[in-house]
Amino acid sequence: MTPLRILILEAQVPFVHGGAEILVRELASALHLHGHHAQVVSVPFTDSPKEEIVAGAEAWRLLDVSYAGGGPIDLVIATKFPTYFARHRRKVLWLVHQHRAAYELAGTRFSDFSHTPRDVALRRRLIAADTRILRECVGHFTIARTVSERMLKYNGIASEALYNPPKLAGRLHHGPYGDYVLTVTRLEHVKRVDLAIDTFLNTSSAMRLLIAGDGSIRHELAEYIERHGLSDRVTLLGRVDDDRLVELYAGCRAVLFAPYEEDYGYVTLEAFLSRKPVITARDSGGTLEFVVNGVNGYVCDPTPDALAAAVDRIGTDAALAASLGERGHAVAAHITWDSVVERLTTAGSQSERVRAAH
Amino acid sequence: MRIVVADARAPFIRDGAELHVQSLVTQLRLRGHDAESVTLPFNGRKDELLDQAGAWRMLNLSTSNARPIDVMIATRFPTWCARHPRKVVWLIHQHRAAYELFGTSFSDFTDSDADTQLRLRIAALDSRMFRECERIVTNSRNTAKRVAHFNGISARPLYHPPPLAGHLHTGGYGDYLLVVARLEPLKRIDLVLRALTHVASQVRLVIVGDGSQRMELEGMAAALNIGDRVTFAGPLWGTPVADWYAGALGVVYAPFDEDYGYVTLEAFLAAKPVITTTDAGGPLEFVQDGINGLVCEPASASLAAAIDRLAADRALAERLGRAGRDVAQTITWDGVIEQLLG
Repeated sequence: MTPLRILILEAQVPFVHGGAEILVRELASALHLHGHHAQVVSVPFTDSPKEEIVAGAEAWRLLDVSYAGGGPIDLVIATKFPTYFARHRRKVLWLVHQHRAAYELAGTRFSDFSHTPRDVALRRRLIAADTRILRECVGHFTIARTVSERMLKYNGIASEALYNPPKLAGRLHHGPYGDYVLTVTRLEHVKRVDLAIDTFLNTSSAMRLLIAGDGSIRHELAEYIERHGLSDRVTLLGRVDDDRLVELYAGCRAVLFAPYEEDYGYVTLEAFLSRKPVITARDSGGTLEFVVNGVNGYVCDPTPDALAAAVDRIGTDAALAASLGERGHAVAAHITWDSVVERLTTAGSQSERVRAAH
Repeated sequence: MRIVVADARAPFIRDGAELHVQSLVTQLRLRGHDAESVTLPFNGRKDELLDQAGAWRMLNLSTSNARPIDVMIATRFPTWCARHPRKVVWLIHQHRAAYELFGTSFSDFTDSDADTQLRLRIAALDSRMFRECERIVTNSRNTAKRVAHFNGISARPLYHPPPLAGHLHTGGYGDYLLVVARLEPLKRIDLVLRALTHVASQVRLVIVGDGSQRMELEGMAAALNIGDRVTFAGPLWGTPVADWYAGALGVVYAPFDEDYGYVTLEAFLAAKPVITTTDAGGPLEFVQDGINGLVCEPASASLAAAIDRLAADRALAERLGRAGRDVAQTITWDGVIEQLLG
């Protein structure tokens, strides 16, 4: 294999740190391990006011990334909107997500796009531009089936989902099935942390809820917990470091993760690698690619009642939690970086073009 | 305050400016600010320069995730083109090939009509963007002088400690002279190699750094028959570089018209004398001939004479180096940030 000079393209939201940022850094490390020279290229992105979304795409379009640091760049890997607007003849897409507020979130409470003529026109414009630019890519991959389905539905472009292991994969281990359920999430509306909290208004078992993570609605959630008299059962831990997180996973009874239409979600895989079952909702998106109801967790209606029933079931039966978690582990253990690197670095290569021609 | 520090960074290259930005972010955080760097990839090709300025202009950095960003600090071309109601420039450098390097062998701009037009457009653009900024400070007097000369804008120099400051220490005055630089034409490593062929004493040369000229310079050392006296230590960061500084007899630093130059201050903090040239720019703001180093003509014979002088008199090397340390120790982060934020 010839080592390639690769740029991974990232859209940075200053002061916000999440899964996508970890993903691109992990990809860079995996490419290095396979002998390639890879660097992350970040450009800041803002979506307010909405008109800036188009300007952000134009900024990427103005960047010719075919040459950098004294030599040609062999391959660029685009990740989120609007990184794929960059110009390069061998541009491979590994889509994390598009601008979700203009796609599947439009019309929900998670989007600032409403049904005004102006917003509708802007949405149409963004989707049309995406479709045109995405067609330039020589390979189309996504991080999860949910993301592939969306791209097919809105842009008419088929793609292959390439799963990757979570960052903590090498360190997660299991411990006792303790007296708490864990949620690991950024504290944002779209993660539906309020639904997880409401669940504990309806549980009868002694399970507590620990919530690891920080975000823009932390204050609001703290007040909500207080107001509902849940302070002794639900705890906001804030941002925790990796060492602590590994131990929190190791000692929990189960993981509750019920966001709305999550793209992929490392939390599911991290729970499984810690041999813990996952309780999720049937509209949680990416979690459903791994969680099978009654096999390695529970898939419930997105209501506090339904989720509480699942929490109580696992909360009163540690042996059940262990057997579900064990089956989850089997699912997560075979997801590796090797196949991701292989697929991304051969897409659009000379040998693949020759193969396709025959 | 929430502050973004904007940097234009060439992928696969680590340079002083990148370290400058990282240090600034760290120091802002130490003082309780919420600071982050934002970047765009930079490509120095002439036909891409205006597009890149355009890309920066497309960016509105006044908010992130619906929360305001209080201040944006721009650093080098074309970061000051981004949009923000409160822009401050801590100028590292402009696009040098279009400014003071024009007319030298270090610039790719010719005197063709197209290139002249482009140079004028870049200068006009910079001047216009600088006028949008609340304040302009520079990393050195040399940089301030350039922006006054080319853009008619007065700016105040603010010195800051080099990123290696915390790692540097003093050891013996050994049998080698140290060069720390990216291996690029502007750093004139070729001049130092040629000087070594004129050196009478038995000193070696250790070169820390990497760059597009690496192969060429290794070949040159072999061709000049000094291959056994030159060590290319490669790109190193942190403690390993500090250790090379600690044991050196002195540091040779002969770039052409450097902006600021961390190497001078790093050498001084390790109590090493600096041999530099009369056209080196930034280093001359600190190096005084015969007091904390030796300043010579940019010619191999002059550099060789300076090297021989140090090699013959280790007590001199030590005395000059210690005087240099006194100078460098007066430069601290205290005050820099206050003046920057106003």
